[in-house]
Amino acid sequence: MSRDRDPLVVGRVIGDVLNPFTRSVELRITYGNREVNNGWDFRPSQIVNQPRVDIGGDDLRTFYTLIMVDPDAPSPSDSNLREYLHWLVTDIPATTGASFGREIVCYESPRPSMGIHRLVFVLFRQLGRQTVYPPGWRQNFITRDFAELYNLGSPVAAVYFNCQRESGTGGRRL
Amino acid sequence: MACASTSASATWNMSSLRSAIPPIHARSASSVHLSTGPSSSRLKFSSSKLLHSFVGLAPLHPLLSLSSPDSTSFEHCFTVIDNGGRFFAMRHGKRVPKLNRPPDQRRALLRALTTQLLKHGRIKTTRARASAMRKYVDKMVTLAKDGSLHKRRQALGFIYEKEIVHALFAEVEERYGDRNGGYTRIIRTLPRRGDNAPMAYIELV
Repeated sequence: MSRDRDPLVVGRVIGDVLNPFTRSVELRITYGNREVNNGWDFRPSQIVNQPRVDIGGDDLRTFYTLIMVDPDAPSPSDSNLREYLHWLVTDIPATTGASFGREIVCYESPRPSMGIHRLVFVLFRQLGRQTVYPPGWRQNFITRDFAELYNLGSPVAAVYFNCQRESGTGGRRL
Repeated sequence: MACASTSASATWNMSSLRSAIPPIHARSASSVHLSTGPSSSRLKFSSSKLLHSFVGLAPLHPLLSLSSPDSTSFEHCFTVIDNGGRFFAMRHGKRVPKLNRPPDQRRALLRALTTQLLKHGRIKTTRARASAMRKYVDKMVTLAKDGSLHKRRQALGFIYEKEIVHALFAEVEERYGDRNGGYTRIIRTLPRRGDNAPMAYIELV
């Protein structure tokens, strides 16, 4: 069991949400003063406001799309609304942040009611500007189909964290 | 000591023997000592040192047999010990996770954990509890896969909430129909802040 495995594979993000990919662009997401790493636990009170996103890359002319989905909606044991879309930002120039892009689905703070949900940030490279359009509704959003629809190709970066109800662990626990 | 002559003896005079044999506590201590010896560990000889003819396969309670003076027949004093009358001071080879609890609390803890896992789909506990739970969650899913009334009642006797049992029996076919075993996944995570306990997420696959 001590194989060195990618946290995205271990957490089944690759599998449920994405296909296997190789990350090529650096993606750093920070809520408040706490950076998001794979598999960390955040409380709904910490993720009320949209995070600070920093994208690597080198060329300011390449644009990226950032998607934030919850594959465990409404509950991990019964995920019939698989992939609830929380945030969708497009036309983000490389080396900048999400505030420089066009936010076509505004940030909705996740408030899971039941179970521990994974929340996944996925970054795609766009072929051109203004090629991505918002979906009609937030639930049943399939990231794979969305990427295929708008020719986004394989993801270039992804990170996920866990979130549960505010009083989920009972008492003061991190 | 006295055991060496047991198999060789046919009949003994009880009064002279009873005066010669040591008292109770030393006898039980010596019986422990002798039963863990290499030669007698494989034998089903009883742990009684009553200098009697060979009583057979049933191990006798040493205190019971001592109290009755007419110690001619002992067939009614059968006390069944699971491992054939052997008891060891060590835990070698026993793979039951004790979870620092007595057996009744352990069972209650595992029942509660499997109920919560089936209800929420993913829970976060300590690694020891998560790996102890796997067996019971798989057992519940297997009962649901069978689907008969008897199995449903067995599941109802284990899971604390009946709605969860009914929901599990309803949806297990489409969810785990193709999968043979291994219905859970454990992901290790950061230790708990209060006591640095190693934590893990356990989730239904």
